[in-house]
Amino acid sequence: MWRTVLCSVLLLVWGYVMAVWLTHDFQVWTDEGARRLEVALRPVQVPSVRVQGPTVEDIGLDELLSRDGGATIVDFFYTHCRSVCLSVGGGFRQLQTALRADHQPDPGQRVRLLSISFDGARDDPAVLRAYAHGLGADPALWRFVRVRDAAQQELLLHRLGVVVIADGLGDYEHNASLLVFDQRGRMRRIFDPGALQTALDYARHLARAGR
Amino acid sequence: MRSWLLCPATAQVLLGLALLTWLITPPIRHLLEAGMGRHMLLQFPLGMLAGALLAASISQGARAGIARWNAHGISGLVLVAVALSLLMLPRLLDLAVRDATIEAGKFVGLLMAGAALRLSWHSAGLVVQGFFLGNVLPMMAVVGQLYIDSPLRLCNAYLLDDQVRLGQWLVVCAALLALIWLGHTTWRLVWRESAL
Repeated sequence: MWRTVLCSVLLLVWGYVMAVWLTHDFQVWTDEGARRLEVALRPVQVPSVRVQGPTVEDIGLDELLSRDGGATIVDFFYTHCRSVCLSVGGGFRQLQTALRADHQPDPGQRVRLLSISFDGARDDPAVLRAYAHGLGADPALWRFVRVRDAAQQELLLHRLGVVVIADGLGDYEHNASLLVFDQRGRMRRIFDPGALQTALDYARHLARAGR
Repeated sequence: MRSWLLCPATAQVLLGLALLTWLITPPIRHLLEAGMGRHMLLQFPLGMLAGALLAASISQGARAGIARWNAHGISGLVLVAVALSLLMLPRLLDLAVRDATIEAGKFVGLLMAGAALRLSWHSAGLVVQGFFLGNVLPMMAVVGQLYIDSPLRLCNAYLLDDQVRLGQWLVVCAALLALIWLGHTTWRLVWRESAL
């Protein structure tokens, strides 16, 4: 009997250790939660993928994020989206209004917005221009880009933990969120699409700290 | 002995091997993992079935050795309960889809749980069986209810309506398994009494 007790206790301990590892000490239950926690603990450097958009010439994404200093709030979207991207787009418009009111004199301490399309095949610069115009985006604050190369787009999504699945009807479901990057092109924090003010405050803090 | 255990041991092992090979073939694996429901309610039980079939390869001598560490099937059922609790975490489903190591570990866990269930179920007796099911089935139903109620997608790899369907099926399966066990147990008790 003692063998059975020992064996059962060892199995329970093993299960507990596995559960601690899987849930980051019972803090998260989902992969999305784990991704956010891991980013907060260890910033993720953005890969140097080539992006282009209506007001952005062909440039490496890391360079685009670091060129002007400050901090950038990024979202992933596609122009054909009729659901969650639209509400995130509306949220970005609110952020743009708030940023205009900032009147930050030092461009190196400004917060900027960047929307990246993960439907690079359909969202060429002309489509993105029309979409940005429809949302009333100010190119100085809010830019739109796509990743030109499909393999590079895959790499970017993978590195940043953005999961996109086609629903078979030409639409996508994706883990929409606000990604905050610092001036060295590192993803520092991930927020829910609804947590606009928190994301903005955090980005302002990053931009002012200048690191 | 249950009827499916009656076919010869070698046939069972071959069947188990065939089932396992089929399950881990990339196209089949991707097909079964394309939906959250298929992943948990089809691939998991089939993996456990393969493990149970493969357990036929364990010799009588080895079984006696295992039984000394598995009095009343307790260790085995603890293993099954621990493995199932870990496998029902939403994060594990996502990780298994995108990480080969976790995927391999998941399959080993399923095989071991299936084998342990087979080696432990009969020696467990009604009390231990009831205790085991009394823990595992409510857990399954609660996880199912969480999947139904969650307004957010818990797995990045799966669609929201898939998650709700899986939750409903988990609740139904937990209830059905409980009913089957209760029915079977009642029938056995009644039969034993009438035989006296």
